[in-house]
Amino acid sequence: MELAFGGAAGIIVLVAYGVLMLAVGLITYLRNRNILESLDEYYLGGRGLGVMVLFFTFFATQYSGNTVVGYPPTAYRIGYQYLVSVPFFICIIAAYLFFAPRLYALGRRFSLLTPVDWIDIRFKSKAVTILAATLMLYALGNYLLEQFVAIGQGVSGLTGGTIPYQVGVVFFIVIMVAYSWLGGMRSVAYTDTIQGIALLFGVFMLLIGSLIYFGGPAASAEVMRVQTPEKLGAPDAAGVAHWFSLLLLVGIGAAVYPHAVQRIFSARSEATLKRSFIRMAYMPFITAGVVFFVGIIGIAAFPDLTTAESEQLVGRIANALASRSLVFYWAMVLLFGGVIAAIVSTADSVLLTFSSIVSNDLYGRYIHPEASEQRKILVGKLIGLVAVVVLVIIAWYPPSTLYQIFVLKFELLIQAAPALILGLYWSRLNSRALFAGMLAGAVLAAAMTFAGWRPLGVFSGLWGLLLNLVICIGASLVMGVDREEHERAVEVIGTY
Amino acid sequence: MARQSKEPIKRPIVWIVFIAVFALINPWYFTDGAYTPLIWGVPYWAWIILAASLALSVFVTWVVCCHWDMQTDEQDGGGD
Repeated sequence: MELAFGGAAGIIVLVAYGVLMLAVGLITYLRNRNILESLDEYYLGGRGLGVMVLFFTFFATQYSGNTVVGYPPTAYRIGYQYLVSVPFFICIIAAYLFFAPRLYALGRRFSLLTPVDWIDIRFKSKAVTILAATLMLYALGNYLLEQFVAIGQGVSGLTGGTIPYQVGVVFFIVIMVAYSWLGGMRSVAYTDTIQGIALLFGVFMLLIGSLIYFGGPAASAEVMRVQTPEKLGAPDAAGVAHWFSLLLLVGIGAAVYPHAVQRIFSARSEATLKRSFIRMAYMPFITAGVVFFVGIIGIAAFPDLTTAESEQLVGRIANALASRSLVFYWAMVLLFGGVIAAIVSTADSVLLTFSSIVSNDLYGRYIHPEASEQRKILVGKLIGLVAVVVLVIIAWYPPSTLYQIFVLKFELLIQAAPALILGLYWSRLNSRALFAGMLAGAVLAAAMTFAGWRPLGVFSGLWGLLLNLVICIGASLVMGVDREEHERAVEVIGTY
Repeated sequence: MARQSKEPIKRPIVWIVFIAVFALINPWYFTDGAYTPLIWGVPYWAWIILAASLALSVFVTWVVCCHWDMQTDEQDGGGD
């Protein structure tokens, strides 16, 4: 996205933002000197995040730059049928209600650090643990790659190309790694708070400016009524099916984002977690809802954009607003700072979770269990850094072939859901059946993604999950579970 | 005497209300392509979906307040 005003103002905002993030990391480090000696301190902020910080870190992790830049163009193209983006974010919180209470309680009881930690304690199966960790690491790596590419594009767009794509990527990655290393989860959560506020401010200014200068939904409704009434109308059967499968996919998917699960473990108390969830339940209206209406307003403001042109919708609106008044000029500069902040805040959480799985679940559990916590943290940091370097190289030269390898995320991540959630409640879940289901589901989902095959319009990840569930539940029922395994499962989960 | 712990997933009323609200946030109950009346330029069905979405948020609040108490804080002697 190109901003005519970019240039110097954009550079000032980005540099100021980078310095602020570094300062947060440094202050966190100076105030918590023991942070690098304990996995709990480093990866979970000492399990001491309060309501506001926990809420904002959930918020900034969940809403990425894509929410602001990518959702309005979709609303522009399909109209009111994209209103699904509001309930879909609420569904994520509703889905937590069905597993977070128990997972939080078990997290306290067993001092769980990562979702893989839970899977290991529950099943005590090396195969299941390693497969789940691998799926999560692979998905997190690709998720991170996506954020890096977005940072580069965002920075070069904001500054009108004054800062090239690659410089933007490297600058923000160095800043992100520096503050994460200094303060771990605490600095990630504190910077998330600043990033979340920047994002909220930006989208509100975007909406207010659009309403003032382009007219409200009524003007857009008139354009749609004449040209494209289908954008106003209630969805047909196919539209309803798409809406439903999106809500279902997102609802189940919420369960398996490892960085979100880790935030559940970070809460200071059950009361804190509960209050953060209540706040999160209303955020979709002022985030997804606001950007949705920005897209709708764009229909009257910039009619007849092609699909490719509509992708630049937020940039076009921002440019138009920036040229109208000085207030909006700076508001739009801050908006783009906020967009990049939102991408960075998603990336930092993902990177920290990636490192924690390496530190705790692979290195600390299988390679060198006697290592000190300090050493485990160091290994997590270094492997995280290696992953970042590899991903930056890929982001630098985006691959033209084998593209699908780099888009597989959710499809694989969701295959760990039965281990994570079913394992919380069903003591007769057989670990070998679980392994077979997870593997089969992952292979099927990956193969279908490669083949671009999507029967009935349902996403490949859900087909994989269906196979996964059939195998793990069916085989558990047929094979049963041996007595020792069952007794241990009851001991782990049976107390609630 | 200690309070009973409460877990949302074990409460039938939570499931029933959730299914009802989930049904309402899916736009299956409108006529295909209908959009009038428009209220402030927004189709009537979009208002209903927004209201149902708000009901889902209220559902979350209700479940968190009334049906979730694993007593973790008491065990820790903590809370805030």
